[in-house]
Amino acid sequence: MQITDRDRFWMNNKVFQFFRFVVLNLKILKGVDASKRA
Amino acid sequence: MAKVAIIGAGFAGQTAALYLGDALGAEHEITVINRLKDFSYVPSWVWVGIGRMPVEKTTFPLEPVYRKFGVRFVHGRATQVRVDERAVVVERDGGGTTTVAYDHLIIATGPRLDFEGTVGLGPEGGFSQSICTGPHAVRTRDSYLEQVARMEKGERRRFVIGTGHPGATCQGAAFEYITNVHKDLVRRGVRDKADLLWLSNEQALGDFGVRGVSVRRKGSVLSSEEFIAAVFKDYGIASRVKTGVLGLTEDTIAWEDFEGRRGETGFDFSMLIPRFLGQPLAFVDKDGGDVSADILAPNGLVKVDAKYGLPYDELSRQPDAWPSVYQNPAHPEIFAAGIAFAPPGPISVPHTTPNGTAIAAAPPRTGMVSGIIGRVVALNIIDLIKMGTMTHGERMTEMYAACIASMGDSLWDGSAAVIMIYPVVPDILKYPNGQGRDLFVTHMEMGLAGAWMKRMIQTTFMHKLRGRPGWQFIPE
Repeated sequence: MQITDRDRFWMNNKVFQFFRFVVLNLKILKGVDASKRA
Repeated sequence: MAKVAIIGAGFAGQTAALYLGDALGAEHEITVINRLKDFSYVPSWVWVGIGRMPVEKTTFPLEPVYRKFGVRFVHGRATQVRVDERAVVVERDGGGTTTVAYDHLIIATGPRLDFEGTVGLGPEGGFSQSICTGPHAVRTRDSYLEQVARMEKGERRRFVIGTGHPGATCQGAAFEYITNVHKDLVRRGVRDKADLLWLSNEQALGDFGVRGVSVRRKGSVLSSEEFIAAVFKDYGIASRVKTGVLGLTEDTIAWEDFEGRRGETGFDFSMLIPRFLGQPLAFVDKDGGDVSADILAPNGLVKVDAKYGLPYDELSRQPDAWPSVYQNPAHPEIFAAGIAFAPPGPISVPHTTPNGTAIAAAPPRTGMVSGIIGRVVALNIIDLIKMGTMTHGERMTEMYAACIASMGDSLWDGSAAVIMIYPVVPDILKYPNGQGRDLFVTHMEMGLAGAWMKRMIQTTFMHKLRGRPGWQFIPE
């Protein structure tokens, strides 16, 4: 794996990162749900 | 009326105090014993250590929180547990001694930082810095800023960051620190004057003491080793893994690697995480006899319902060897949460060098893991008081954790690696995919969104741990 200029662009693109922020929050909630959380 | 005592108010102890206070505070006696009067949000000390956040922003006073929840607070250091009398002896902060009676005891002390385990390690009497306590992080910041000032005058400086003992854990915090140092030096325009070296006891880059992480990416499997190697290449950070630090002098770190080769690395600034041991706490019976061996593992951590003594290969095939309820088998009224419980063994593959030096990253127990265990223990104690039986349990082989490793704190151009793992300890029976983890839940990515997540998590955790409205709905 190598971090390219294209990766750097998307890693700091505010609109795309806002989308990832929402996705990551949903993934955390899904993960917490998948966990036993007895 | 039942009496519950909690020693320690970190992630595990504070979470347990909130659940217990909320459910039982009005009718039962819940007491928290802590040597500091403030809660400390440890994950933000990476920012304190480079001067990007004042340490005061990472703390809040405990007592007002406990008042809301009907929890009693004793400010002092627990020194002894009288197991037959069920009482904790506390040296009060203002002087004098008191005892706290209990029917159920939660030990959530966090670790003792074993700087003495490595010659020359640590900020007090040693030659390295640490971000493991608030005062240490402040001292690290001052030393770091001195280096920056010298680089601004044109001097070249060598930074070595990582682990300071062959059996250390918490590589994630050191990783956050080195990437934040990189970003900060770039911001200050002196990055070209600094040589950054990652020195770690991990068996591979990106191992983090959890046997690394692998995720699906663009149709193939990407390992955390490849991921972190790419980050370090991009940031110009050199690395030396499979290496245990043996000792430090004023400007040199002596080490041994997996092959048994010994060598030295020079430095001008080092931040190395020490080995973690159990806090010094004596356990005595009614005759004053020391019964610590019934309760503590040799490293001073509290033995719980785990299967201890299994060889690594066997342990990695037995997910139920990891504890479920975190209860001491000899004294069922004693529980341990967070770093204070003794894991049954390492998660990462341990290694012994030809010279007999054991280099094995100890299992990390992050804020999330500690909080989850604190909740499980608290809910079980509530069960025991109300129904007489426990109904909760969560092994680290069943536990989900998200780790957000800051790589620059700015909300405009910062970054963070977001690593979600499920389960924390691989379960090769449930997930026979070679990784032992659910590859649909396990995830890893890097970007600005991670920096936002890191800041959001600090805000929401501080909100939760202050017991503010809706705290129960924020996951640990």
